[in-house]
Amino acid sequence: MGVTCVCQVPVAEGKSVQQTVDILHKKLEQLGAVKQGSFCVDCETYHATGNVSGQPSKLLYVMHNSETPLSCLALFEGGPCLIADANFDVLMVKLKSHFQNAKGHKVECRGSRYRYCDFLIKVGTVTMSSSARGISVEVEYCPCVVPGDCWNLMKEFMQSFLGPSVPELPSVFAAKPEGLFAPADSVDTMTQYLELFNKLRKLQLPGSNVR
Amino acid sequence: MEAPPVTVMPVTGGTINMMEYLLQGSVLDQALESLLHRLRGLCDNMEPETFTDHELVYLLKGQQGNPFILRARRSLSHPKAPWHLRYLGQPEVGDKSRHALVRNCVDVAASHSLPDFLNEMGFRMDHEFVANGHIFRKGAMKIVVSKLSRILVPGNTENTERLSLSYLVELSVLAPAGQDTVSEDMRSFAEQLKPLVHLEKIDPSKQRH
Repeated sequence: MGVTCVCQVPVAEGKSVQQTVDILHKKLEQLGAVKQGSFCVDCETYHATGNVSGQPSKLLYVMHNSETPLSCLALFEGGPCLIADANFDVLMVKLKSHFQNAKGHKVECRGSRYRYCDFLIKVGTVTMSSSARGISVEVEYCPCVVPGDCWNLMKEFMQSFLGPSVPELPSVFAAKPEGLFAPADSVDTMTQYLELFNKLRKLQLPGSNVR
Repeated sequence: MEAPPVTVMPVTGGTINMMEYLLQGSVLDQALESLLHRLRGLCDNMEPETFTDHELVYLLKGQQGNPFILRARRSLSHPKAPWHLRYLGQPEVGDKSRHALVRNCVDVAASHSLPDFLNEMGFRMDHEFVANGHIFRKGAMKIVVSKLSRILVPGNTENTERLSLSYLVELSVLAPAGQDTVSEDMRSFAEQLKPLVHLEKIDPSKQRH
């Protein structure tokens, strides 16, 4: 896995979520990107039961990424994370009396996957309980694993189709010392997705519906 | 850079429940070589495989009922290999004529952050030990002959003390629920190991005091 940046793209003025996604697809195709299948990233939330009353219950997030279909990532926000195989979900079912699945909080991001030379671009619609909450764009620069070395290139590439919505260096990378490589275990990518999902979860939907 | 398939099937509900069928016995140290010799003859032809594993047993105490037990195991001979997390359910009661101990089993491979992660989840380590020995295979059956050692200083796997003067012998099969011929096959294999070792169904709940 190369350096990956996940960012949110605001819905275009006067357009629906689907229309904005279509505009992005068109821009990518004009650049010369080739569509290569689809992707899905999802996140389930579990509450620890049996906590001392008065203390907020710890939230455990279990995330899946279609790019690594046999794995799942379990993490506590700001805490340790675990990469496990797909059976971890079965284990969580066994643990249901200790960790309750907050079913209404499941967030999914689905969309198309594009390839442009060494870049992998994924434009997705983030949905929660079947209502679209926003648009995510994930850009991966595959040949490089050191964020500091390729961030300028990635930013320039993103500007060519995102225009003014280009993000700053993601905080997962800013927190690391200069020159440290991002290990190939997708933890940084999934942490960025989790930040995005949590941000979108807090946003109130202003009455507009999914198209 | 082909896109991997996007799965739309839910994991929960439709999962195959795997069951572990188990028979256990033991041999004194002096009898080990004859047992290994017999196993080499009976089992699948493969390079003799030895192992040294460190297992930690974690408990999660809930508000009611028995604590939830998880077993985390890592290889000391292959330190970079992932950890193996295992959940074993209560033994299935009912058919007294069934020859092996049957219990639900969930195996998860996990990264090296497993001990910290389990602590964050609320699990606490109850005990740990080192197991080393030999592993054999015959079809779907796995035969493990191991020596268990107590860890004297928590976390230090170099300094261990043998728990007994014998080796634990375990014959197990992992199969989907409902396959009853498995315990028959295990019983006939166990017959071939007599009188070197007597493998029997030992109910773990009867061991507790």
